[in-house]
Amino acid sequence: MLFPNGQFSSCIKPLLNLKPPQISTQTGNPYDQSHYNYSEKMSSLILKRSCNNKSLHNSFLRINLFTRTLFSLSEPHFHDSPIPVNNQQVPASSYAFLENKNNGFCSYFHGNWKVPIPYDCNFVRFLSSQAAVEASTSDGLTVEGIIANKWVIHDENESDWRSHAAAIAQSIHLIKKRLRWKKLIPRLKILSEELDKPDLWDDPARAGKISREHGSIMGKMKEVNAFEQELIEHIDMIKLAREENDSELESESLKALLALRRNIKEKELEALLAGEQDSCSCFIEVQAGAGGTESMDWASMVMQMYKRWAENRGFGVTVVDEMPGDIAGIKRATIKVDGEFAFGYAKAEVGAHRLVRISPLDSNKRRHTSFASVAVIPILGEGFSHVQINESDLRIERFRAGGAGGQHVNTTESAVRITHIPTGVTASCQNERSQNQNKMSAMAVLQSRLDQLEIERQARINAEHTQSLTDINFGSQIRSYVLHPYRMVKDHRTDYEVSDPDSVLQGDLDGFILSFLSASLDKNEEDDGI
Amino acid sequence: MKSSCFTRASLSSILQPVFSPRLKPSRPIICSAVPPKPQTALYLRPPAFRSTLSELRKWYAWAKNQASSVGSTFLDLDNGPDSTLLHRELKWLVEDALERPDMLSPLNSGDNYDDATPVSMRACLDDLYKLWKQRIEERRPFQYVVGCEHWRDLILSVEEGVLIPRPETEIIVDLVDDAVKENEELRNGLWADLGTGSGALAIGVARILGLGCGRVVATDLSPVAVAVASYNVQRYNLQDRVSVKLGSWFDPLKDVEGELSGLVSNPPYIPSEDINGLQAEVSKHEPRLALDGGANGMDDLINLCNGAASMLKPGGFFALETNGETQSKFLVDYMDTKMKGSFYGTNIASDFAGIQRFVTGYRA
Ligand SMILES: C[S@@+](CC[C@H](N)C(=O)[O-])C[C@H]1O[C@@H](n2cnc3c(N)ncnc32)[C@H](O)[C@@H]1O
Repeated sequence: MLFPNGQFSSCIKPLLNLKPPQISTQTGNPYDQSHYNYSEKMSSLILKRSCNNKSLHNSFLRINLFTRTLFSLSEPHFHDSPIPVNNQQVPASSYAFLENKNNGFCSYFHGNWKVPIPYDCNFVRFLSSQAAVEASTSDGLTVEGIIANKWVIHDENESDWRSHAAAIAQSIHLIKKRLRWKKLIPRLKILSEELDKPDLWDDPARAGKISREHGSIMGKMKEVNAFEQELIEHIDMIKLAREENDSELESESLKALLALRRNIKEKELEALLAGEQDSCSCFIEVQAGAGGTESMDWASMVMQMYKRWAENRGFGVTVVDEMPGDIAGIKRATIKVDGEFAFGYAKAEVGAHRLVRISPLDSNKRRHTSFASVAVIPILGEGFSHVQINESDLRIERFRAGGAGGQHVNTTESAVRITHIPTGVTASCQNERSQNQNKMSAMAVLQSRLDQLEIERQARINAEHTQSLTDINFGSQIRSYVLHPYRMVKDHRTDYEVSDPDSVLQGDLDGFILSFLSASLDKNEEDDGI
Repeated sequence: MKSSCFTRASLSSILQPVFSPRLKPSRPIICSAVPPKPQTALYLRPPAFRSTLSELRKWYAWAKNQASSVGSTFLDLDNGPDSTLLHRELKWLVEDALERPDMLSPLNSGDNYDDATPVSMRACLDDLYKLWKQRIEERRPFQYVVGCEHWRDLILSVEEGVLIPRPETEIIVDLVDDAVKENEELRNGLWADLGTGSGALAIGVARILGLGCGRVVATDLSPVAVAVASYNVQRYNLQDRVSVKLGSWFDPLKDVEGELSGLVSNPPYIPSEDINGLQAEVSKHEPRLALDGGANGMDDLINLCNGAASMLKPGGFFALETNGETQSKFLVDYMDTKMKGSFYGTNIASDFAGIQRFVTGYRA
């Protein structure tokens, strides 16, 4: 049975009296003006159908669909002032949420069902029900089933509902994989248990973090569920329309399916950047490998490549620190890349980059191999917790110290290096025109470095939940750029390759980045899958 | 705090901006009757000049070449700037002189813009050639070339006749910050910056004190310094909280004897005979009045020390910059022995190069 131990009566029954909800309104409106009519029709058709009671299965779908959405809406985000209802505790905020959220679903509720939400309908239940039942059409077709059918996926322009459905099902599958669906469910369980603890808010920072993560996972799951639901409904509608010979409805349903297919394709990409820090800005650091001037020249080419890449993407770029090489290039450099998802993309670049070329710096025209390593550090925004830095743990030094300083010297050199003594982590900045500004910038870099160390430490403790790709070995070789004897750039992690190194060095990196992100998230891991 | 601020009467006499030469020169000074009008920094001038990208690139290539050709000759000669520093300064000159500095960035070196693209500049091309020549050939300090110095989070106008504020001195503001955080009463008192030069410390301290009733009086013997400091004070809209006075050390502060909550100063501290050996940027271009601290460099520091004992109120804070370990130790020793009982909590703080640069303490 779906809902064991009497839950059926306490929770489901009242819902059965309601008209079916218009789930599709929750995920935006991909149906243009015809939407209203369409969903009206849908409701009445479905209602008609459930009344006919053609299939028990179908009404289960409704129930499941309904409760699922309800539960996710009433899911407690904050445990402020719980009030007792039916001998159970329900957070007050969940009512507020129901009342405020002005979508058709809720307002409908509001008018018809003023009963407090039974405790049984919490989302843990939602999860177990979720695991037990998958959305399915009236004739038992599930999303997994659609995939298993291996329907041919045609171009979007072909009006073939099976092709659309198969494409959508595949996207859903991919998104789930990218989100690490299987891991999300137990994680959510842990988080919700934490949220239920009465002493949660004794540590507000931790509580905030937990409730944020909980909310974010919840949001993702709700979204995917809604997609599944929508897919199933559209299929049901098409079948129904055919049964009833309603060609107008059929073509509308097909349109809706196509809209869903397009919409979800975009979501695939978004799901690549679902990591906790992915949306952050970041620092990118390039360091010349062994090999003197050759490598320093290569390091500056790599840095240039990232500057261009970031600028082309519309990110803000500022040089924070730059140690010029003795003859050419740079020993190392740090840039700050400002913008949404800067870290999510750039993290794919961590590792050693190898160049093979006939060096313009070598008068004997010999072939050289040079290396440069790239590190990427997220800049955690306000919502994140930060490592506390003790002033007394810092050693601040001036670059090129030496000489009497003070009034003796007029110099525009005001770079500082800051060392965090307990960890040995250092940061420096020499790009600003005043010492104090250099110090502030270096502090920002130091803070991010320490935050990153902490994230990695926690990821290790909490090995279950690691989305962080940043712990990839800084030194492992990820990509080769060959300019001689042939021309090619090849990523060793994905085998993605491009035969035009110039375009890559001009910052055309998205192909490499996306193929790596999808490869690392989409690879078939037994238990990471769905 | 109990006596909210210092007495109003004395305040008004102090806060009136005066240029009236109430001089008691301790050494010869040039005195002009009309206060000089400060120059406008390059980055503040309107982008009224036009050239083409190709002409500008030509200048840039020439300037880079000039910078490179210096190598380490200045460094070896008198500890002056090397190519790396000059290249960085050139980048900043471009930032200050062009309306769109990114036009010259290496990212745009390719075919993004063609040669005929017009560029707007804050100085004409001829002047850019002249300015960079002055920098390289005459060793004119970069800050005088562009007319400003970035100091803490401020951009201060500077020109010949005014000392270019040093990065080390930024730390005095942090020391004041620490002191007023420890004793919030100091925040609402009257502070003095003696020998204010560009006004750097006075402005930095006023911003630390915040919007309460804390006030700063800045003094300098140099009319150019007073004019430039006043100008900078106005640029940061602090004229109600900082007053700049012309005069020797404590002379303009006679009315507030014993009322100062704090005192900061970076007085001249270089021994007279060392000055000619300093790097050309300093010895040939910066005002001697701002550098020369007498035979052992301690004349003004000792003078300030004595004055601090009578000018500060009990519990009042002071921070002085010195030439380094020898002077700092001498000063602390002088206070603890010769002026025994006048001060407490005397302490030496280091700059970021690890040099014992600052002496701080409180009036007993
Ligand atoms: C080393 S500079 C410091 C300037 C500024 N406070 C700074 O830190 O950048 C010393 C300043 O003391 C001023 N000065 C020299 N003799 C003075 C005197 N007798 N009375 C007042 N100021 C004097 C100089 O004009 C110069 O501006």
